[in-house]
Amino acid sequence: MKELTKIEEILMLAIWRLQDDAYGVKIRQYVSQILGKEFTYGNLYSALSQLAKKKYVNKSLGDPTPDRRGRRKIYYTVSTSGLNALKAARDMNQKMWEDITDYAFD
Amino acid sequence: MATQKSRPPKIAGWVIKHTARYEENFAIHGDFNEEFHEIASRRGIFIARLWFWRQCLRSFPVFLKDSFYWRLIMFKNYMKIAFRSLKKHKGYSFINISGLAIGMAVCVLIFMWILNELSYDRFHEKADNICRLTLDIEIGSMLHTPVSLTAAGPALVEDFPEVIAAARVDRPRMIFVKYKDKTFQEADVGFAENEVFDIFTFPFISGDPKTALQAPNTVVITESTAQKYFGDEDPIGKILRFNNETDFSVTGVVKDIPHNSHFRFNMLRSFQTLMANGSVRDDMWFDLRFFTYLLLDEFTDPSQLEQKFPGFIDNHLGDAMKATGGTVRLFLQPLKKIHLYSDFERDISANSDITYVYLFSAIAFFVLLIAGINFINLSTARSATRAQEVGMRKTLGAIRSRLIGQFLGESMIHSFLAMGLAIVFIILSLPFFNTVIGTELTLNFFQSPWLLAAVLGMAIIVGVCAGSYPAFILSSFPPVHVLKGLLKAGGSHSRFRKILVVFQFSISIALIAATIIVYQQIIFMKNTELGFDKEHVVIIPRMSETLRKSYRSIRSEMRDLSGVVDVGASDLVPSRGHLVGTFLPEGFADDQILSMDYMNVDAHYIPTMGMEILEGRNFSEDFSTDPNESVLINETAAKKIGWKNPVGKRFVFRPPPNSGREVFYLTVIGVVKDFHLQSLREKIEPLIIFYDYNSLMTLSVRIAPDNVPHTMGLIEKKWKELDPNRPFNFLFLDESFDSLYRQEDRLKTITFYFSFLAILIGCLGLFGMASFTAEQRTKEIGIRKVLGASVLGIIRLLAKEFMLLVIVANLIALPVAYFAMNRWLQSFAYRMDIHPIIFVLAAALSLSIALLTVSYQAIRAALANPVDSLRYE
Repeated sequence: MKELTKIEEILMLAIWRLQDDAYGVKIRQYVSQILGKEFTYGNLYSALSQLAKKKYVNKSLGDPTPDRRGRRKIYYTVSTSGLNALKAARDMNQKMWEDITDYAFD
Repeated sequence: MATQKSRPPKIAGWVIKHTARYEENFAIHGDFNEEFHEIASRRGIFIARLWFWRQCLRSFPVFLKDSFYWRLIMFKNYMKIAFRSLKKHKGYSFINISGLAIGMAVCVLIFMWILNELSYDRFHEKADNICRLTLDIEIGSMLHTPVSLTAAGPALVEDFPEVIAAARVDRPRMIFVKYKDKTFQEADVGFAENEVFDIFTFPFISGDPKTALQAPNTVVITESTAQKYFGDEDPIGKILRFNNETDFSVTGVVKDIPHNSHFRFNMLRSFQTLMANGSVRDDMWFDLRFFTYLLLDEFTDPSQLEQKFPGFIDNHLGDAMKATGGTVRLFLQPLKKIHLYSDFERDISANSDITYVYLFSAIAFFVLLIAGINFINLSTARSATRAQEVGMRKTLGAIRSRLIGQFLGESMIHSFLAMGLAIVFIILSLPFFNTVIGTELTLNFFQSPWLLAAVLGMAIIVGVCAGSYPAFILSSFPPVHVLKGLLKAGGSHSRFRKILVVFQFSISIALIAATIIVYQQIIFMKNTELGFDKEHVVIIPRMSETLRKSYRSIRSEMRDLSGVVDVGASDLVPSRGHLVGTFLPEGFADDQILSMDYMNVDAHYIPTMGMEILEGRNFSEDFSTDPNESVLINETAAKKIGWKNPVGKRFVFRPPPNSGREVFYLTVIGVVKDFHLQSLREKIEPLIIFYDYNSLMTLSVRIAPDNVPHTMGLIEKKWKELDPNRPFNFLFLDESFDSLYRQEDRLKTITFYFSFLAILIGCLGLFGMASFTAEQRTKEIGIRKVLGASVLGIIRLLAKEFMLLVIVANLIALPVAYFAMNRWLQSFAYRMDIHPIIFVLAAALSLSIALLTVSYQAIRAALANPVDSLRYE
């Protein structure tokens, strides 16, 4: 299994956190907030379509609303294999950070 | 809420829609809109629009990158499949690509040639404003010449402010040039006025273009000529001796004249030399020796200036014209039209003809068409083999336009591979092409952006045109039928293919017939009885003045050489130009003057040449009055004048009014059997022959047919004794005659090679089609054999289909060839009849070539063991 990229990791965590509200607009806003800078739709969907292709996320269609000019939303949820990948990423992170205390940065 | 104003920017929306090629496209668009409205309601429509645009522009690169990425993956797949099918069907690919490559090579070669033809004289900076003054003069007979009245040039500059400069130029000729002790026979040596350098662009390497040819006895030479005479020495001020008579000093060196110039020279002597020695005066109006080039100012329309010429002629020549009752008309021929649109008999250099440009273009187009048709035929015929792939792609969601794109792309790959191969062919065949056509073409893409554009354009156009029909067919297969195996091998399109094959072969057959006819006409012209014996006659042209004076003794010395049969002299020789004058038979009114050819000979010329006297007698040295009182005429002249018994009839000669000489008469003493003075394109004209010792410039020596080299050795040795200052220069009369048909020879060579290539490409295609059919019908043939069909019967079955097509092609091509070639033959006064055997030959040739092509595959299929073909797979 290939390691997740940082963006993929962030996106999957965002989807996981947003739960039932995980669709384009919300994910983008959330990630922008985390990153502290504007995260573009280009980068968002480029990564999302990769995740979808790897089956780390599942897609489901939402209802069209007037302010979307009739276009449906796609809601994302993290799949089981996605969860495994996240877990692996967390384990790896933890291993990497294990012996490094906060003082190291002072 | 969704009012017009609050809508997101349309253009940005369009960009997103068309660049974000994800499955999630609609959702992206939705997200953009949702957030837009959110921002709009919070912070105003303006900020929202700004946000929308910013977001769109920043996302755009990523969208684009991803969409390319996916297309690239698909493209890689297409390429892979294309090359796999190339490799899998090596035979077809070979036929396809090499056929196309030959067609393209022919096309590009011809395009290069056409570019070269069209580039003639364009290198002169003022090319658009340069004209040549040409002349139609009618005094008794009509003369249409590229040379002009000698006095006209300077007078035009004087009379018309729009004529900036005029330069008179003498026809460059062959001449003997001596430097120190070296003598060269130098080609293209002319005379010109210094203005020639104002008008044309001939860049000087050394010397002053303003004054180089101002003084008498000065000469300007080209760079390579300078190299030849002086090596590394400075040429300026060196003395060259011309014809061992006159010295000229070199005053300038110009760059070599580009090969695409109609006016070429190696040396130009100053026109002032001619003025100084009195052979040209500025009041010489009726003197037609020089080409006159004019530089007009850039606002002058030549045709408008032309309209003022009648007034100009009237002004200067009104009285003279009234006296003679003739007309003189001057024309302006634009420089750029000289090479391709001239119709003058003897121009400053051999010109080409726009007809050849059209003819060659047509041939190039047809050859390429034949090659393109091969491609279409083979691709559609083989479409069944790709049907499975198409079905599979369609099932997996390929849309039709993508499939068309894929197959177009494949034909593009073929087309570019073919172009690569074509360039190799061109490089290999260019030296050969150059010798056949007589050009100096080079393949250089850097020098000629047009050529590069043409080559790339041709590859693309051929790829698209030849690829679109197969692409259309292939992409149309319904997947259900294909995958069920219901599709028959390209059957429904076989009629289209047949039409194309017929078309291909029609072109090839017409070309074959044309080649045979051109070939036969040349043989006809070379073998026709000319009215004298052209074999074994040595011509020694341009005797010097001193030799001419002692002609009688020279003749007897030459006559005594062993191997020499007879010696005669004349001013001109058949095949090397003719002179036209006007003559008045006695008893005709003064305005009934006749235009006739004339020549001057001595008493021995007619027997030497083997010409026949039909009535009366030849000139004789025994009659001292012959030179002054007698003439010979030919049969045509007698017929045209209407003399039943010409011997004893007279011609009237009126000298110019002020010459102080009286009217005199010349009596016809004999009639010569008609002989050809010119090529067989021209009719035999009425001819009058004078007996005049003073103008005998050319010696004709008849030699015995055996031991020619020995005799030639003797003649050369004798001639060196007689004329030690000049190299011995001679030619054979029969070769001189043959050289008149160089143009036809060239046409023959070209049609020969093109018809060969056309039939080769056509046969490549036929071969491919035949092998394909044989393959398709393997099972059928197996069953037929099992049921008792003979090998011969099966060969006939397979060959019949194609032979029928070739027969139909013959029926179309031969009448077309007949009419076209009949028109071509009309340009010859003496021509062969088109014999039906020619068409039988062309038909037989095409049928046998086609049969040979098809039968290989047919025999192979017929001989195959049915066990192999019917075995259950």
